[in-house]
Amino acid sequence: MSDEKLALTPVEGIKARSNYLRGTLLQSLADGATGALAEDDTHVSKFHGFYQQDDRDYREERRRQMLEPDHQFMIRARVPGGICTPVQWLALDAIAQKWANGTIRLTTRQAFQLHGVIKRNLQPVISAINDSLLDTIAACGDVNRNVMCTPLPESSPIHRQVCVDAQAVSRHLTPHTTAYHEIWLGKKRVAGTADTALAEDHEPIYGATYLPRKFKMSFAIPPRNDVDVYAHDLNFIAIVEDNLLSGYNVAVGGGMGATHGDPATYPRLADVIGFCTPDQVLSVSEAIITIQRDHGDRTERKHARLKYTLDDHGLDWLHTQFEARAGFRLAPQRPFSFTHNGDRLGWQQTSDGLWHLGLFIQNGRVADLAGATQLSGLREIARILQGEFRLTPNQNVVISGIADRDRAAIDALVEQHGLDSWNRLSPLRLHSMACVGFPTCGLSMAESERYLPELVGQLESLMAAHGLAEQAITIRMTGCPNGCARPYLAEIGLVGKGPGLYNLHLGAAFNGTRLNTLYRESVHEGDILSVLDGLFAMFATTRNDGETFGDFLHRTGVVTAGTEQGKIGQ
Amino acid sequence: MFNALRADNSPFTQPQIDSLQQSLGNLDESQSAWLSGFIAGRLAGPPSRSLGHSLGHSLAGAAQLPLPVAAANPNSAPAEGERLQVFFASQTGNGEGIAQSLAADAERAGLVVELKSLAVLRPASLKKLEYAAFVISTHGEGDPPDDALELFEYLQGPRAAQLGQLRFCVLALGDRSYGKFCEAGRKLEHLLLARGASVFAPRVECDIDYEQPATGWSASVLSFAVANLAPGSGQVLPKLALAPLAAHLSVVPQAARWSRARPFSAAVERVQKITGLDSDKDVFHLELSLEGSGITYEPGDALGVWAPNAHELVDEVLRALDIAADAAVVLDDHRHTIHEVLIRKRELTRLSQETVQGYAELAQNRELGNHFAQLDDEQRRDFIEQRQFVDLVTDFPLAAGIRVSASELASVLRPLAPRSYSIASSQASVDEQVHLTVATLYAPGSSKKRTGVASSFLNQHLAAGDEVHVFLEPNHRFRLPEDRTTPLILISAGTGIAPYRGFLQQLQAEGSSPATWLIFGNPHLRTDFLYQREWLELRKSGLLDHIDCAFSRDQNEKRYVQHVLREQGARLNQWLEQGARLYICGGLGMGREVELALRDVLCSERGLDTGQAAECVAELRRQGRLLKDLY
Repeated sequence: MSDEKLALTPVEGIKARSNYLRGTLLQSLADGATGALAEDDTHVSKFHGFYQQDDRDYREERRRQMLEPDHQFMIRARVPGGICTPVQWLALDAIAQKWANGTIRLTTRQAFQLHGVIKRNLQPVISAINDSLLDTIAACGDVNRNVMCTPLPESSPIHRQVCVDAQAVSRHLTPHTTAYHEIWLGKKRVAGTADTALAEDHEPIYGATYLPRKFKMSFAIPPRNDVDVYAHDLNFIAIVEDNLLSGYNVAVGGGMGATHGDPATYPRLADVIGFCTPDQVLSVSEAIITIQRDHGDRTERKHARLKYTLDDHGLDWLHTQFEARAGFRLAPQRPFSFTHNGDRLGWQQTSDGLWHLGLFIQNGRVADLAGATQLSGLREIARILQGEFRLTPNQNVVISGIADRDRAAIDALVEQHGLDSWNRLSPLRLHSMACVGFPTCGLSMAESERYLPELVGQLESLMAAHGLAEQAITIRMTGCPNGCARPYLAEIGLVGKGPGLYNLHLGAAFNGTRLNTLYRESVHEGDILSVLDGLFAMFATTRNDGETFGDFLHRTGVVTAGTEQGKIGQ
Repeated sequence: MFNALRADNSPFTQPQIDSLQQSLGNLDESQSAWLSGFIAGRLAGPPSRSLGHSLGHSLAGAAQLPLPVAAANPNSAPAEGERLQVFFASQTGNGEGIAQSLAADAERAGLVVELKSLAVLRPASLKKLEYAAFVISTHGEGDPPDDALELFEYLQGPRAAQLGQLRFCVLALGDRSYGKFCEAGRKLEHLLLARGASVFAPRVECDIDYEQPATGWSASVLSFAVANLAPGSGQVLPKLALAPLAAHLSVVPQAARWSRARPFSAAVERVQKITGLDSDKDVFHLELSLEGSGITYEPGDALGVWAPNAHELVDEVLRALDIAADAAVVLDDHRHTIHEVLIRKRELTRLSQETVQGYAELAQNRELGNHFAQLDDEQRRDFIEQRQFVDLVTDFPLAAGIRVSASELASVLRPLAPRSYSIASSQASVDEQVHLTVATLYAPGSSKKRTGVASSFLNQHLAAGDEVHVFLEPNHRFRLPEDRTTPLILISAGTGIAPYRGFLQQLQAEGSSPATWLIFGNPHLRTDFLYQREWLELRKSGLLDHIDCAFSRDQNEKRYVQHVLREQGARLNQWLEQGARLYICGGLGMGREVELALRDVLCSERGLDTGQAAECVAELRRQGRLLKDLY
């Protein structure tokens, strides 16, 4: 936090005036002359779980037609730990068909996104999502967002415990404002109270202006780092000793977002700062989040994440603050190690004898396409599934808790609807991930979801030519530098700069413990392909046994400046 | 006064002007007035007393004429009541225009004339009138225009006075493509006759190409008036008649050149579709250049557009009737090819009963003849609305062995009429441009195959750089109030929003900021809120206070502008109490529904019964606070 008396950002004023997130949302919804919200409400709406967007493919055409942009909304439903019942899946599916664009988007943070919802359908959609016992509150906004958790553990009792902790944190940090229920669920405030909401609403953890910026949490169960535990503000790494959960290493200050051309902004890996027991998780969360609430920079949103607070004040300061708030000291961190940050797809059995099937969903877009009716397939599966769905941190889905006798039926549906691609596609494609980008994301500078599959196809050909067809390499693309698909943690990262132009980042660790390095700036597809063709050739001939692409690039000095996460116990 | 005559502002050649100036240059004012009356009388020909006889398309000709005795003596004062009253009532400006030129001619002929809208005629004063000429249009299903509603109600009611003193005549404006042609004019004559009034000149009924018959009717009115009424006083003449004429010639000579008969060729500067991608409607915004025309317009005025029929359509008709495109037709003493005639001179996209019947006879298509004969009025209207001429000739072909000549074809088709569009701009903002908002008209049931002549020409065949023939149609009945602080309630559906764009441009350019409230209806918000960006900008800037929209197809229950009025009854009433003016622009059906809603609101908000509310609405109309531009 800056010592100078700088002006607060306009968003701080909007939050302060919003009367615990009411803003003028009701008036905005009632304004029949526009498909948009009032300007200020576009910030308030995020706390309720939706973003105002427009179809950018038609922006110019509609400008000429003297029509406003084709406003529509992205609604995010929180799914703590990514666990979703078949009934909830069917409810989301029905909502997507009725009110959204007919597809479901699985996010990189284990949530659902619906796109293309128009203003007059916001209320029915949010109300229906709540009816399904999911919600949208705090899915976006300057609050703690959806809490992530490794979805598919080797040992299910441990997973259950970790999930319980993740869900408890999620509940503990959910905003208390009644505005959400009032606006979307038609619930009146408690009778007998004064009509000023201020007298009634109270945010014990956040306060009236919430956090300076978004706040992200994850729970990882080593050796899987599928949640990318270093990429979020506050993270818990499960420490399993003698098959028991003894507690968590705590990692703070991770974050992906950066701005092109602004060196004061950067992706940063979280620091592991100690160890806590399971019963300390809520206290640790509350202490860290209130430190960020009180000391995060509210004068510059590009400098407001916990990672900057930490770099501005230092780790010693953090420990002092932490003790003062939590009333205890963190224990020294315990050893652990990660092997990979991708998903394990296909069939797996857990110690309880149940089966789990990880399915690849390209870029998380569940849709019915010619030859692959994945949306219909998952609907059919939801109708017969006795277990549950688990959304993965890499935009895939696990059909979880299948009894031996039900495997054949699931397999049949999987095959029938083209959901068996995990079995057929290249490791490169199975390790690819893209944000939504064009045409709906307002921040996008280049294509992402619509383009990565095609680029991967070209890279597959190059890799096959070098005998690398079976090599797993993580590749992630985003349309802008804000990092939704965590591109800085991919061995090949592509960050949109302009139409058809990307920054090429190389050399992150396959297990998510090292950031990649900017290798080429503002390059076209042709350059991307020729650069990678050369590196694939080198890799194919001179790699060590079992060496990953990112490690190889570092060993051979192709990239050097990557931020190694030195404090990670090995 | 003849010095103002020039070859470029008059129908005369330079040698004619020279000789006119030589012969007439030294006449004094009374001599000029006498001559004026003489010429008017001569043009008018002998008045005919036979009722129901139409003058048809040609003037009565220069037959023997009664000398304008009265006009020859301009210094005698007019007797009480010896004045010509000219009344008009029409939804567009056409009726007013005809009435105005009649009044001007009569003044020039030395008569005392009063020109009034029927909206301001108190029916009880009818019993004092002696000579009255009525110009009245017909709308919808044979309905009189709003301004005549009160008069009709009075004449049909039990309290109507006997009108034995009144001599009158009627010019009925109509459109043969509607069922009850010129019904309002016929009915007015019938009602007046029933009260004992008598006719001094035959009623003339005009189709959409009204100029010739209207001129003929005016001439016969003038001829009668000049022969029977006392002339105006010497003082009145130069002030009222001569001075304005001279001023007219010298001040705006350029603009005066352009008329329906002599349209200006305007360059197209922009043609832009303004309904969104998935819209069921094809609405276009057009920007035309009036540069060099001298035409000036005011927001609320309309622009007449001459649009040719599409070549494909003409070819299709000629093919179906097996007529060669170059077959000759003599029209107005000129030789044309039938192709040219169908392109520029005949209606192909709007049928009329006469055309259907005429074609049935020519084609000797019994099926068509019998079928049409059996239909009632409403069925005939539907039949006509759902077809164009090309459908007729395709669905009901020529009987075996029958051939139709090019001339016969030209004779069963009505003359092509221009289409008129409310202007969507203000010159205070767009200078020498004029903007139009045009929805492509699709014939019902023809799956977008058959289009309206002008809308398809403007929207589908024009591009920047092309030219289009236009002329101004002033509409004094749909203008911004003189007092720019009067609150404005602007109600519209579809392209009816056009004049309000002009209003707001004008107010913005002037820096006026009355309270304004836009109420707009169309099918979908996403694609059909015409000029949405501009309205939202205006609201943001504070010039537009409220926008209330009714997008009919955006929810299960259809929602229209009248629903908005009922929902916002309290505000509507409050605005009216604050002196607001209420404008309605759009389709006739919408106009009716809006008036019903207005009445309902007055009932509920002011505790009135239906009759009192109706009187309230009538009073608003009389005060010029309820203005309509419906089509």
